Amino acid sequence: MSDLVKVMIDDREVEVPKGTGLVETAASAGIEIPVFCYEPRLGAPIGACRMCLVEVEGLPKLQAGCTLTAQDGMVVKTAASSEKAAEGQNATLEFILVNHPLDCPVCDKGGECPLQDLTFRYGPGNTRMSFSKITLEKPIPVSPLIALDRERCILCYRCTRFSSDVAEDNQLVARNRGSHTEISTFESDPYRAPFSGNVIELCPVGALTSTQYRFEARPWEIQNVPTVCGLCPVGCNVNATVREGKVKRILSRNHPEVDGGWLCDKGRFTYPHLTAEDRITEPLVRGKLGLEPVGWDAALDRAEELLRGAGTRIVTALSGSESVEQAYALARLLRVGLGAHAAVLPESTSDALDAFRLPLSSIASAEIVVIVGDDEVADRAPVVDLWLRAARRNGAEIVHYGPTGTEQTGPGGAAAALHALTESGNGPGDRLRSAERAILIWSGGGGGGGARLAETAHALGLEGKPGSGAFHLPATPNGRGVAAAWAAAADEDESNPEPIGLLIVSGDEAAADPAVRVLAERAENVIAITMFHALAVGWADLVLPATSSLESDGTLLNLEGRLQRLRRTVIAPVPDELAWLSNLAGRFDVELSPHAVVVFDELSARAFGGVDGSELNGTASLPARTPYEAPVPAAEVRAAASAKPSDEHFLGELRLLRYRPLFSGPFVERVGELAFQRPTAELELSTEDATRRAIATGDSVVVRSNGTSIELRARINRGLIAGVARVADEHAADLHLHVEVVKL
Amino acid sequence: MTAPRPEVVFAGTNGGTLTEIAAYEAVGGFEALVKSRALSPDEVIAELNASNLRGRGGAFFPTGRKWSFVPKPDKIDKPHYLVINADESEPGTFKDREIMLRVPFRFLEGCLIAAHAIESQHVFVYIRGEYEAEFDVLESALEQMRAKDLLGEVTIVLHRGAGAYICGEETALLESLEGRRGQPRTKPPFPAIAGLYASPTAVNNVESITSATTVMEIGGAEYAKLGVENSTGTRVFSLSGNVVTGGNYELPHGFPLRDLINDLGGGIADGRSLKAVIPGGSSTVVLTADEANRVTLDFDSLVGAGTAIGSAAVIALDDRCCMVQLAVRVSQFYEHESCGKCTPCRVGTKWLTSILQKIEDGRGTQADMDLLVSVAERINGKCLCPLGDSDAIAVMSYFDKFRDEFQAHVDEGGCPFHGTSSLDHLLAPVAMHVHNEAVAHA
Repeated sequence: MSDLVKVMIDDREVEVPKGTGLVETAASAGIEIPVFCYEPRLGAPIGACRMCLVEVEGLPKLQAGCTLTAQDGMVVKTAASSEKAAEGQNATLEFILVNHPLDCPVCDKGGECPLQDLTFRYGPGNTRMSFSKITLEKPIPVSPLIALDRERCILCYRCTRFSSDVAEDNQLVARNRGSHTEISTFESDPYRAPFSGNVIELCPVGALTSTQYRFEARPWEIQNVPTVCGLCPVGCNVNATVREGKVKRILSRNHPEVDGGWLCDKGRFTYPHLTAEDRITEPLVRGKLGLEPVGWDAALDRAEELLRGAGTRIVTALSGSESVEQAYALARLLRVGLGAHAAVLPESTSDALDAFRLPLSSIASAEIVVIVGDDEVADRAPVVDLWLRAARRNGAEIVHYGPTGTEQTGPGGAAAALHALTESGNGPGDRLRSAERAILIWSGGGGGGGARLAETAHALGLEGKPGSGAFHLPATPNGRGVAAAWAAAADEDESNPEPIGLLIVSGDEAAADPAVRVLAERAENVIAITMFHALAVGWADLVLPATSSLESDGTLLNLEGRLQRLRRTVIAPVPDELAWLSNLAGRFDVELSPHAVVVFDELSARAFGGVDGSELNGTASLPARTPYEAPVPAAEVRAAASAKPSDEHFLGELRLLRYRPLFSGPFVERVGELAFQRPTAELELSTEDATRRAIATGDSVVVRSNGTSIELRARINRGLIAGVARVADEHAADLHLHVEVVKL
Repeated sequence: MTAPRPEVVFAGTNGGTLTEIAAYEAVGGFEALVKSRALSPDEVIAELNASNLRGRGGAFFPTGRKWSFVPKPDKIDKPHYLVINADESEPGTFKDREIMLRVPFRFLEGCLIAAHAIESQHVFVYIRGEYEAEFDVLESALEQMRAKDLLGEVTIVLHRGAGAYICGEETALLESLEGRRGQPRTKPPFPAIAGLYASPTAVNNVESITSATTVMEIGGAEYAKLGVENSTGTRVFSLSGNVVTGGNYELPHGFPLRDLINDLGGGIADGRSLKAVIPGGSSTVVLTADEANRVTLDFDSLVGAGTAIGSAAVIALDDRCCMVQLAVRVSQFYEHESCGKCTPCRVGTKWLTSILQKIEDGRGTQADMDLLVSVAERINGKCLCPLGDSDAIAVMSYFDKFRDEFQAHVDEGGCPFHGTSSLDHLLAPVAMHVHNEAVAHA
């Protein structure tokens, strides 16, 4: 290849593509150039820490190796072969340690600390510094999640660069200068942003630590168990840090195609839900005094009784967070064992998108990305938001059609916006057609679970271009996997029993869903499979304790169509779902293994082309695209959807737009440290609507609709389309679709 | 008197100012601009190259070559920027402020000539925040030029700095101008390729740009006749320290340093004797009195003496000056102004100051003397930008040339001047330009 260059490093010749970073070039020759500030995922190198000083032939001064790229004929000497470079490196380490407190014995980072490691390998054995070290107040709460120790900080600026250059939340900054420089948030406000926790992992010392993990474990008594996050449809690869059978921490496990090594705060910090106070650890049956604990034998007997009693008149409400194995096992029991085919799936899904499959990381190199839908991307699939920001920094055009988008459309306008893209003369549509790397994203409800999106992608010819594709951002972590597993369990058609003999509520999201509660009112009996007492009380006749995705082996299908392996990181306080489902299935003459691996093999043959489960270990790969098949037509696009909602109704009424915030749901609600990340009880109004009502940000407003009236704090959202009032689901109470908003 | 003293930068002022446009035009103002605009950009650059005008900010880089590094607009589809570094902050340097005060039009005319040469329509003048009068004069001058429609397609923006020495470093200046923390960038890429807003940018000093006007007025060849080989033209020297009449003196390069101090500066004040001279701003290597008497004020002579012409700030020190105290004061300055981005500068300048203070206080040991050298060497050449290096270089030069004085502090367990040392009229201590108690430690 012509663009390979030869570089001599410490008398070792190495050939790499031109432009490869010198740190990576050296690494490919087995030579370490030690670094602190260098982190390619944060953008261009800044050469601040000076740990990487090397000698380059022809240049009189030592050079920061991290800022150099491989050039043909370059001759580099690292500290291993150059006295001058070694002196430079020693100088840097000595300077870094001059004010570092060396409190490694009580530092969370101790044992897994780059500063400790590099000091061990290259550092001086003693200090020549006889003056008092700088002492500072500590720890500083950067937020309820992150503690800052400024004495330990070596000012590598990784955290501030993440904040400004990756997440673009611009909240962590350096203030003051020289030796007074310190990391801080603006005016010491809490660092409130979806990705704040990444700075803990980026910190090469113990300056930024997790308040949840502080003083919880030493690195030699922990295990990092590789798994994937089961909280959203991205499926970020993670390591669960386990100590004595308890999850203590969640870390990113870089899958370059899926998450790029980033993790949102929901994925990182919600693990304490495992030990929530109202966690159910034994089966419960409804008795005279409400829910009463029973033994597992009695519980399964009661379950069998309820199942037999209802027969085919069973409806199953699924959460979409079950593993494919759990969903399949449940489906085998109910559909094969009882002929009960009726299921309420959490959302529609479509296989048509498989023709436009590509890794999420492709977004970063796209020329144009068009997003349609009512929801913010970060609320549905947080890490996708980071890929989009990367794309924008790389020069991509990003267009979002939605109530808060760059091109404002009313709620429910996604399908109409997509349709417009295919019409001739549509600017973004034309550019999607002509670009080599064009990406479409559906971020919201409706649209046939990506079916509408697939049609548009097909109309724009995206399946023929390897760098182009389409993503539907589902509402649930494994909605598609669950639907596939349910469908694969039996061939018979679904029927809608009326009345419902038994409602089976699978999982906490389903249990928390008001629509499922409505269904329960029509059911004679309810079995709830849930983790938390509060979600079972008052409606379930039998409660079977559930496990979390951190506690079970299994498989998830993410939004790209990538199957990824969940691992049991800790032993759950309750039996695995597959264990008792297998037991129950046996009572209905259905053979079902209690082992996820075996269940997966059976399911894979039926639903996933027979993919071998062992291939999903490590970082799973994305299956090839399938040929495009037109989806079954769904309901036609409502023409009114694109019209301004205020035109539809008499003046004064606003269309209520509910959204499900990233920081919501049964798990988040059970983690106190995350409370500050949850949306406050506020109503977002457009500038136009607020002005018309003389409402300013911070004012209390009354929101009324058809007999319901609630008080919220108003906030002007300049990016919101007029005629719409936006509110987080959890604060919307029973408000109807159209509301009156009056200043209090 | 020795050599002739042609006035180029201050030509036509007769010791006064040219702040009214009519007065400036009366002495031939804007003729160079008209002439330049009639030429192609390449022809203007050729004229600058012929003059061998070199940067007056400190690095002495050929101005014409700097402009020629800016890619032609058809090579790169981005705006081109001219940024003027008017953030004059090097201790001892006060020439640019006088230029802006007395010949604002010659300076602004130079901006327009440079903008023409690099085909830029956007000029930013980054002016030191403390320079209020200078800012007002420039604003008024710009207003007068706009009224006469002299700017053409060019926009000139005056941007005031917020008080950081580091923002005189060109990449830190660009960061600050973009609204970020004033911290240097790694180079490459150089500003000529990716400067302001990642676009091609020429960054020039006020005096360089003002001199460019003269180059275009009298022609490069004629300009090159001034001064000496390799150091053509005149230079505005800021003379300060223990002399009778300090101030700015425009002199041709090659002028004897001795004559500047003794003749123009009226010699050493109070009947004291010359001890040493800092020839080019606080960042340069100090000269002993003997060395100072032998050098001329030009690039080659000063480099030959192991120092540099720098920003042409000549600071004369008399025999009352304790070199350790001077070192403390200089090092405090760099410690205070360190931006905090790179480790050796942020940590090293503070450590160096502490060691120097310990020696000055009489608590220093022989080991501290060695440590002083070692820490300075560990700073020098390891930093991201020249700031940290400057501290080390300056302090080491005091140590090397006045080692006995440092040694006496250790041997006597205190300052050998016993409180009689005076740094009056030398560099202002950090505490004088700091209102923040937290940083005004000593």
